[in-house]
Amino acid sequence: MLPEWMKASWLRVKALFRRKQLDRDLDDELAFHLALREERKCAEGVAAEEARYAARRQFGNAMMMKEACREMWSFVSLETFWRDLRYGTRALAKNPRFTVAAVLAIALGIGVNTGIFSVLNGAALRLLPIPGASQVVSVDQIFHGRSTRNVHGEASLFSYAEYQEFRDHSHVFSGLLAYEPFLKATLGGANPQQLFGAAASCNYFGVLDVRPALGRGFVDTDCSAPGANAVVVLSDELWRKTFGADPTLVGKSVLLNRARFTVIGIAPAGFGGTEPVPSAFWAPVTMQRALEPARDFLGEANVSWLALLGRVQNGVSLAEVRADLGVIAGRIDQQYPGRTTTLAIHPATFLGRPEERGFVLAVGAVILIAVGLVLLIACANVANLLLSRASARQKEIAIRLSIGASRWQLIRQLLTESLLIALLGGAAGSLLAFWSFAAISQFVLTHLPHGFPQLALNMSPDLRVLGFSLGLTLITGIVFGLAPALHATRPDLSTAIKEDSSGYIGKAGSGGFLRSTLVGLQVAVCMILLIAAGLLMRGLYSAQTIDPGFEMASVTQASFDLTSQGYKEESAVAFQRALMDRVAALPGVDGVAEASVTPLSDNHRASPFLLPGQTEERQIEFNDVSPGYFSLLGIPIVRGRDFTQVGARTGAAEMIVTEFTARTLWPGEEAIGKVLREEGRAERVVIGVVRDAQVSHLGETDRVYAYLPAGPKEQARMILLVHSAGGYDGIEKGIRDAARLLDPELVVDVAKLEDNLEVWRTPSRIVATLSGALGALALLLASIGVYGVVSYSVSRRIREIGIRMTLGADGRDVMRLLLRQAMRPVLIGAAVGVGGCAAVSQILSKVLYGIGSHDPIAFLGVPLFLLGIALLASYIPAHRATQVDPVVALRYE
Amino acid sequence: MERHGDLVQGTLDMLVLKALARGAKHGYGVAEWIHESSNDVLHVEEGALYPALHRLELRGLLSAEWGTSENNRRAKFYSLTAAGRKKLTEEAEYWRRMSGAIARVMQTA
Repeated sequence: MLPEWMKASWLRVKALFRRKQLDRDLDDELAFHLALREERKCAEGVAAEEARYAARRQFGNAMMMKEACREMWSFVSLETFWRDLRYGTRALAKNPRFTVAAVLAIALGIGVNTGIFSVLNGAALRLLPIPGASQVVSVDQIFHGRSTRNVHGEASLFSYAEYQEFRDHSHVFSGLLAYEPFLKATLGGANPQQLFGAAASCNYFGVLDVRPALGRGFVDTDCSAPGANAVVVLSDELWRKTFGADPTLVGKSVLLNRARFTVIGIAPAGFGGTEPVPSAFWAPVTMQRALEPARDFLGEANVSWLALLGRVQNGVSLAEVRADLGVIAGRIDQQYPGRTTTLAIHPATFLGRPEERGFVLAVGAVILIAVGLVLLIACANVANLLLSRASARQKEIAIRLSIGASRWQLIRQLLTESLLIALLGGAAGSLLAFWSFAAISQFVLTHLPHGFPQLALNMSPDLRVLGFSLGLTLITGIVFGLAPALHATRPDLSTAIKEDSSGYIGKAGSGGFLRSTLVGLQVAVCMILLIAAGLLMRGLYSAQTIDPGFEMASVTQASFDLTSQGYKEESAVAFQRALMDRVAALPGVDGVAEASVTPLSDNHRASPFLLPGQTEERQIEFNDVSPGYFSLLGIPIVRGRDFTQVGARTGAAEMIVTEFTARTLWPGEEAIGKVLREEGRAERVVIGVVRDAQVSHLGETDRVYAYLPAGPKEQARMILLVHSAGGYDGIEKGIRDAARLLDPELVVDVAKLEDNLEVWRTPSRIVATLSGALGALALLLASIGVYGVVSYSVSRRIREIGIRMTLGADGRDVMRLLLRQAMRPVLIGAAVGVGGCAAVSQILSKVLYGIGSHDPIAFLGVPLFLLGIALLASYIPAHRATQVDPVVALRYE
Repeated sequence: MERHGDLVQGTLDMLVLKALARGAKHGYGVAEWIHESSNDVLHVEEGALYPALHRLELRGLLSAEWGTSENNRRAKFYSLTAAGRKKLTEEAEYWRRMSGAIARVMQTA
């Protein structure tokens, strides 16, 4: 049987189409009742006239009864909503200039928000692009307590033994896979190229439910023994770009890090694995050693290197998964006293590991707040427009209130209008965002500086994005609509009806306070965004012009991954020496050196060192450098001497420290001759002190930093630094050719040393561009807001202005009066904004380079600029007011 | 002014159902029946009766059809549906227990 409410609804729907019939029936029922009652009274001997009245009296209020029944038979809310909607549409259509301005402001605000959210959604919230993605969870571990562990990638990853433990003893998965993400490999051939790939467990394609488009995926026997099955699945993109979509490639072999692999399959188009950096190939996890000859991860039990994804069995909840795996994690912990592990299990997404998730969410939150502020300005703008309009409609509203419309009915109707504006704006803005943001962010991602991996993120809108923009639209409509609606319908009717619509001196007219507050709010928010943008631009400028304390301009760096290419100590030493000799002989080259870390790269090495006589170890950042490194970079040796070739070759126990290090470790003493012991190694004697330079972090010289001589053991990881008269352009090809002659299959990465600065500049540049664009948008909206309010108050006070001018005030007086009133909320808002920004800059200065938290240019320049704009925005309408002919003004309205 | 004969909240629906237990009636008939069966004690405000009838019809407890009255007029006749009959039994049982309990409470000294 149908539930009661459905039956009732059906009856109502039927009644909806028989409205007239229903009214007639109600009338008939009423008439019948009254007639019977009247007859009865007559029969009792009451006079005819009296009987009719008595019948009516006994019945009570017939109108109310009919109204009650009618409401019962109809969807009252639906019908009144429909009526409000029609009324609202008419009201908006009648005032197209207002409607366009409001819709445009909201469209900009919502568009920016939706766009940013769709980027965030693509980066961190979207499920993986595989069948049944909602069933796939990522498993990560977070360690607590004191224990040591080797980390290759991120700490939250697993070792092979741990993976096997989870795979074989869990009861909640239909399959659990593991893979090593971001595996770098050189694809051999005439034009060797560097690829990102993955070493995956052999159930990889099965668990993800991804079928290779050509050939086959892995089978269990591919993972039977370490190093036994050199097979590989290539991505569709690699197959098309490098192999020209050769249909006979399956069965042939390719070289990956100089090991021969047989291609067994091509992954389907569009599948690039489960990391934001697309995978170009997948090899069995058991082939790890072949791809990374330097380390054997398979045999290590306590190393983080494998990411885990599991497909949950039907009907198993996330809580059950956590409980089941938690038991296994606890069992593993018993092998490592002092360590406890908690597991983070989430539906699998890109950027889902705890470290990445925290970063993305933090950055996303900051950006969403910024774009939220822009939307707030847009809301304040539209609220102001609505307020102005509501004042113009004051009389209409007052009359409707006084003839019996309830306040709620009027608020509802005004809110329907603002929701209508919000929906129009939201739809326009969202469409704009969907169309433009995917393109913009794709452009940004493909134009990241040297060294950033290419990301593939899907930013097209999905249900979550649509839900976000719809929710935001509704909230927006209520936010900007509620205050004006409450204000317009406030119950002091008599004053509103009596009020002369031209307003009076000293008050900015009704709603003046609310309007001024909204203007102040806009200015404050705009100020925060603009100062933030200003600070970032200044930071960018100083990063561009800073002197880091060493020479960058004429220096070129060349790096190559010798370890993955199977180089051993001797071969690496031979290669590096031969390369340095060849490059040194190139024309224009006047200095060649090597270092394991190039200055200001985002690579940092540190080790615990012990001072003699102390028990507490000290983590010290260091670099392995060859003799000549300091003179090549122009870092003066203040005291002592440089490393020698002989010393480097024999691995002398020497070190050079910076002036700051010398001061910090041996205050008031001569550092040369002092010793430091690296953990587990021999003592090293300080032989020289060099000038402080910003080699580790841009803008910072106060860091303890040590240089060790680059011995034979370090040769496989050294980066070549070349100083030449012509700089990068003159030497790049020469370095490549020299390396190719020595090893034709080595991928050589040649770049300017200055490119290292990009690592520091890029985040600032992205944030500066973003906040600059948002600031410009905010400025536009806020100046429209100021302009609108001033011109509105001028139009309302035209008669007052006329009187003043008739009484002898001249244009200057009127101008001064208007400007003073217009600028008051602007000044207050500006002060609040500057205060707010002082707080924001404290935060920014911690995360981005080169931001002085009290930069005078940003903090004085931006407010002056903003005030200038606001003055201009109020001057234009105020100037118009002074041109008014007093006679016309007095007759106005 | 205190008025006697007003209905206890929520009992009007039950009385209407009871009035229709013996067969179809029009609105006037229901009002008269309640008036007479209570020996003129209960005065149903007639204006409130019709919303109650329509509400019960919408809830599927009553069915209604237009017919001709004893004096040849077009009238709307209401009768109980199966659901209405069930509801009446429940309400009557509930009322019996409640009124019994209230009576007992009032009798205790």
